[in-house]
Amino acid sequence: MNLFCVTACPRRDHFSGRGLIRIWLLLFCCCTYVLAQSAAHPVNANVPFSVRVTHLLGLENTKNNCNGILSIQDSALLFQQRGKPSAKIEIASVRDVFVGGESKQVGGLPMKFGKAAAPYGGGRVVSLFAHKKYDSLTVEYADEDGGIHGMVFQLKKGEGERVRQELVGRGVSAIVPTKGTVEVTHGNK
Amino acid sequence: METSKRNLSVCCATAIVAIAFAFPNRLPAQTTAAAPTTAGRSTAQVSVQVERVDPADLGLAPSFQLAIYESLLQELNKTKRFNQVLREGDRRASEIPNLLILKTTIVKYMPGSETRRAVTTISGATKLTVRSQLVTADGKVVLDRTVNGNVRFFGSNLRATHNLAKNIAKAIKKSPWSLPEQPS
Repeated sequence: MNLFCVTACPRRDHFSGRGLIRIWLLLFCCCTYVLAQSAAHPVNANVPFSVRVTHLLGLENTKNNCNGILSIQDSALLFQQRGKPSAKIEIASVRDVFVGGESKQVGGLPMKFGKAAAPYGGGRVVSLFAHKKYDSLTVEYADEDGGIHGMVFQLKKGEGERVRQELVGRGVSAIVPTKGTVEVTHGNK
Repeated sequence: METSKRNLSVCCATAIVAIAFAFPNRLPAQTTAAAPTTAGRSTAQVSVQVERVDPADLGLAPSFQLAIYESLLQELNKTKRFNQVLREGDRRASEIPNLLILKTTIVKYMPGSETRRAVTTISGATKLTVRSQLVTADGKVVLDRTVNGNVRFFGSNLRATHNLAKNIAKAIKKSPWSLPEQPS
């Protein structure tokens, strides 16, 4: 017991004095550095950016609820469906970008029929677990005549924020973040 | 026997021709969809500019606001009651005569949940109630309606916006609204 006290006491002295302060300072510096790194996400405006999305509504000459690739190239926002010409919007015409969250049931119509056919309310139990969270990206832009358009996309969770950051990096500046959404407004508004 | 048949067919043909001349409007092949007139002016000569939805601090998500706006534009175009359907901010609006402005304000919003609908069936409905007003350029209200749009059983929450826009367009199409007389 005495031996334990003799060996432990010098260690306690070492960690209770200046050593502890140094460790705390080191930790503080590390945290500050990490936070600064995550806040200042660098975006290279020349590098093309693309993400898989579902177009819910809004784009002209494009079907609702269709899958495609949303990409940002130079100064344009492009939506490309497989085997079809892409819809293009100039980033300069983008007025607002909103990112929100949604939870949806997965599986579509076949899953719905399957759940309805399941006996003893088994479909309801499946519904409890068969849902997935998505990001919804809402882009508001103006056409050549000044008319306001809106388009809504559905993305994987977390990717809405990536698109928002890309747009911020290409001249769209953030203003007031609202509850549940992140609002972004174009600098040239 | 044969002559009586021939006489009968001639009589029938004469009767059909006579009826066709007497009641030209009732011929089924003719289109009867003449646009209803409002104060001497056909409503097809009236154009409408759709304004964005006013959320009225009820916490309606921007995606819902823009979805209602876009769906409204689509549904109003389908009604064919308006000469032109313009978007908010469209510069051409100043040149168009007989322009009405459609204002939509959210009155009630109950956010639902697709999962709750799927699990319980009776709860989790998304409910939207809006006040739609057709207003002239000088601020006179031509039509004022409160319209609902819900998703109760199947579909995503965003479908409520589509249903709402459909109901607004239906209300505008069916209501006997009239333009106020312009001072000459």
